[in-house]
Amino acid sequence: MSAGSIPSGKVRDPGYPTKSENYLTNSKGILSWMFTLDHKRIGVMYLVGVVVAFAVAGLLALLIRLHLFQPDGAIFKGSDANNTYNQVFTLHGAIMVFLFIIPSIPAALGNFLVPVMLGAKDVAFPRLNLCSFYLWVAGAIFFVSALCASGLDTGWTFYTPYSTSSNSSVILATSGAFILGFSSIFTGLNFIVTINTMRPPGMSWFRMPLFLWATYATSIIQVLATPVLGITLLLLIAERAMHIGIFDPEFNGDPVTFQHFFWFYSHPAVYIMILPAFGIISDLISVHSHKRIFGYRFIAYSSIAIALLGFLVWGHHMFTSGMGPLTTIIFSALTFTVSVPSAIKVFNWLATMYKGSISLTTPMCFAIAFIFLFTIGGLTGLHLGTLATDLHLHDTYFVVAHFHYVMVGGTLVAFLGGVFHWWPKMFGKMYSEWGGRLAAVIIFFGFNLTFLPQFVLGSRGMPRRYATYDPEFAYLHQMSTIGSLLLGVGLLVALVVLIHSLFRGKRAPANPWGGATLEWNCTSPPPFYNFERAPVVGDPYDFTTIEWDSENERYVTVDPEREIAPEEKPETEPAHAQGDH
Amino acid sequence: MPAILNLPWTLLADKTEDYAWFPEAASTFAADNDWLYGFISLVCIIFFIPIAIALFYFAVRYRKPKGAKAESNASHNTPLELAWSIGPSFFLVGMFILGAKAYLNHRSVPDGARDIAVVANSWNWQIDYGGGTIHPELHIVLNEPTKLSMRSSDVIHSLFIPAFRAKKDIVPGRYNYMWFQPTVASQKVSDEKLAAAKKRMEDLGESWDWDELDFTPDGYTYYDLYCTEYCGKNHSEMQSVVVVHETEEDLNAWIKKYSQRGEGEDADKYGEKLYTRRGCSGCHSINGDKRVGPSFKEVFGNSRPLTSGETVIADENYIRESILYPKAKVSAGYQPVMPSYKGQLSEDDLYSLVEYLKTVSDYTPTDVATGDQDGSDEQTPAEGQEATVTVPE
Repeated sequence: MSAGSIPSGKVRDPGYPTKSENYLTNSKGILSWMFTLDHKRIGVMYLVGVVVAFAVAGLLALLIRLHLFQPDGAIFKGSDANNTYNQVFTLHGAIMVFLFIIPSIPAALGNFLVPVMLGAKDVAFPRLNLCSFYLWVAGAIFFVSALCASGLDTGWTFYTPYSTSSNSSVILATSGAFILGFSSIFTGLNFIVTINTMRPPGMSWFRMPLFLWATYATSIIQVLATPVLGITLLLLIAERAMHIGIFDPEFNGDPVTFQHFFWFYSHPAVYIMILPAFGIISDLISVHSHKRIFGYRFIAYSSIAIALLGFLVWGHHMFTSGMGPLTTIIFSALTFTVSVPSAIKVFNWLATMYKGSISLTTPMCFAIAFIFLFTIGGLTGLHLGTLATDLHLHDTYFVVAHFHYVMVGGTLVAFLGGVFHWWPKMFGKMYSEWGGRLAAVIIFFGFNLTFLPQFVLGSRGMPRRYATYDPEFAYLHQMSTIGSLLLGVGLLVALVVLIHSLFRGKRAPANPWGGATLEWNCTSPPPFYNFERAPVVGDPYDFTTIEWDSENERYVTVDPEREIAPEEKPETEPAHAQGDH
Repeated sequence: MPAILNLPWTLLADKTEDYAWFPEAASTFAADNDWLYGFISLVCIIFFIPIAIALFYFAVRYRKPKGAKAESNASHNTPLELAWSIGPSFFLVGMFILGAKAYLNHRSVPDGARDIAVVANSWNWQIDYGGGTIHPELHIVLNEPTKLSMRSSDVIHSLFIPAFRAKKDIVPGRYNYMWFQPTVASQKVSDEKLAAAKKRMEDLGESWDWDELDFTPDGYTYYDLYCTEYCGKNHSEMQSVVVVHETEEDLNAWIKKYSQRGEGEDADKYGEKLYTRRGCSGCHSINGDKRVGPSFKEVFGNSRPLTSGETVIADENYIRESILYPKAKVSAGYQPVMPSYKGQLSEDDLYSLVEYLKTVSDYTPTDVATGDQDGSDEQTPAEGQEATVTVPE
């Protein structure tokens, strides 16, 4: 069975699942999906859900960019043009944040991967898991109904008193966000309990894959910060409906209080979005460089440090809003501290690639794009954390470019890298490598063309959330719009490549990339029970025993030939039987 | 350093302003800000270029066929990792200190600064020059520290002057302040050029085209002033301009020009000026288009259904009341969002506006006489029923 390319030894490979074992085919019918408690099926349903949300919000983004092709607006016309534009950018932001980025990696990929990486059968609370998916669906329905009712034009931040006086569907949308918050809390709670209690024997905290560390840190933020969002949104609904006088100055409230409440959640939420991406990239870089991750402990601790420090920096969204100078300066200082752990990770990833054995597969291309784009996103945060320059750049396109570099260049690219990395595991199919790499390259160039000009726009003073603008900004906006179309094409290519693989793709081996974490020890796709017996826990980043089997196009684990000691076989007949009776 | 940043853009075209990295530098803050921005950018580039080179170089240099083993399996190197964790922190401390110092400068208004009151409402700027002179343009004096005491009468706005590198939110329910010291004066364009532009605008039947003309209707070049906190529908149109006068005399002459209705000027003509200058035009059209508020074409002399279910005839008293107490009688189909202009318009201003409305409204004069009995006089104690043409001095 073993080919010439593998050194001699005992080849370990789980083979392929039968149709009745495969989690995708072991039961049939829509109800078997709707009422499933299998974390893998819930993960797949989340994946479909977040991709649909992303497609909707992405098309809205294209509308925004096309409208801004001309200073007076190219798409929406008539006396209500500005209003339409405001609703479109609000929905783009709200759907991307609440329905796509926050659940994308933790809920879609996390659900599928956490139990498999732990060698467990399922998450700790499978029913809660299904419940959190349906809460996501309910939240999405609220958002759609807000859109159908009278739109939403407050921006995704719901700043008061505009949100208490606007006559669009603020209450419907905030109710939706409130419900989505619970979905997020349940997912976080589930993962914390799962990782704490269900690690297999031998998997100590420091032998966990880094994706699990990142998921753990994310879950802590989800459980601690999201309730504050819930409180804020309830108070906002109460202010709007009953004028309780907390956020609206007309009733003796204070709008800055709302901003404190809102950003106390929404800044940590930025780390809910980016931490899981760090986890994915750590695993991708290591696996596709076929080299042990460099500085495991620094990466793991920096995830936790970001999760904790992330709670202390919300004030940097409010440098111009009228906080006292001392408060403002303290928030600036704290903001700089949070940049250190992110820098550590970038250096560690580069050190991991150094002297590795790099395969430029599609996931690796996305991982390289991530490091490039996230580094730009992180470094431009320094201009915004510095107080004096923030006074100029605050609420301009510089901010728009900065957070898109982090959220799109960071989270979205990592999400795509993760999807391409685990796609063979999830669906048992290999996609076209060239198609995947082509998508990664188009996305990389399209993204940079879209958002690099926006740094210049912001430095020149172009305010954000403008439906129309002064003609001197036009050529930069036009570059950006052309880039966004290219980015859209890249994303479409990625989708086509993946969908095509479902129908025409080659059957995926259990370990197509040479990973050492536990998910590569079960078949692709995994059987509904994940593992027949608890797998042997090894070092998640030890690639020395993983070999390329060129004949079968797969990686296998080759255990050294073991000999049974003592070599001498014991007598089969008892000694007393030898003698005569 | 900003000059270095500008370089690649200036090479692209002759029109340096269009391709500049920054807007003009016209206040004392600009030099500090641009230097700091350049310093931070330089540090970023110093870090980014080696990272990007290493990233792509490693990807090519260590690319190996499948199955090849890594050359090294180093798991960690604590001194190296500590070095790259702690090393960059020195740059961060530097940025923080420089940024905080410059920020404190933004927050400490020098003694004797000229104090100007600013009121922001959706989607207008009202700059108060004292003595009842209110105008949307901000006019200040060269090299004179100027403090803006700002308040909002509805939602949050933010005043941003890119050329001054200064910005501050305007939060309803409190006063926010900012200051700056302009260092470059506006130019005055030649009278012929101004006259030509005015004639052109008149021929086209347009109000002033700010996109096309780089000077104000008074003939000054200007700096942009933007609202940078999202404030609803016409947020992107909540723009104004800053004019920096060479001398205080020049500023005072400008203020005088706008302080009141000129000798012998017709009230309806002056009302038309107020209609654009005081921001009525943002929400009320004169051609029948429905904007945030009712069009003036269908107001005066017409009967108006109210949100309360009643119907009133829009006579002089109703107009006056709606300007001073906009939420008392709201037209059906509209939101009570208009701010009160009580104390901001003189009696003569109100009179001029009413006269102007009469000229743009479609009505037959007899309707007004029958509408005189409505109950609007409870809000207008002074003039009582005789609200027509008495002009108090």
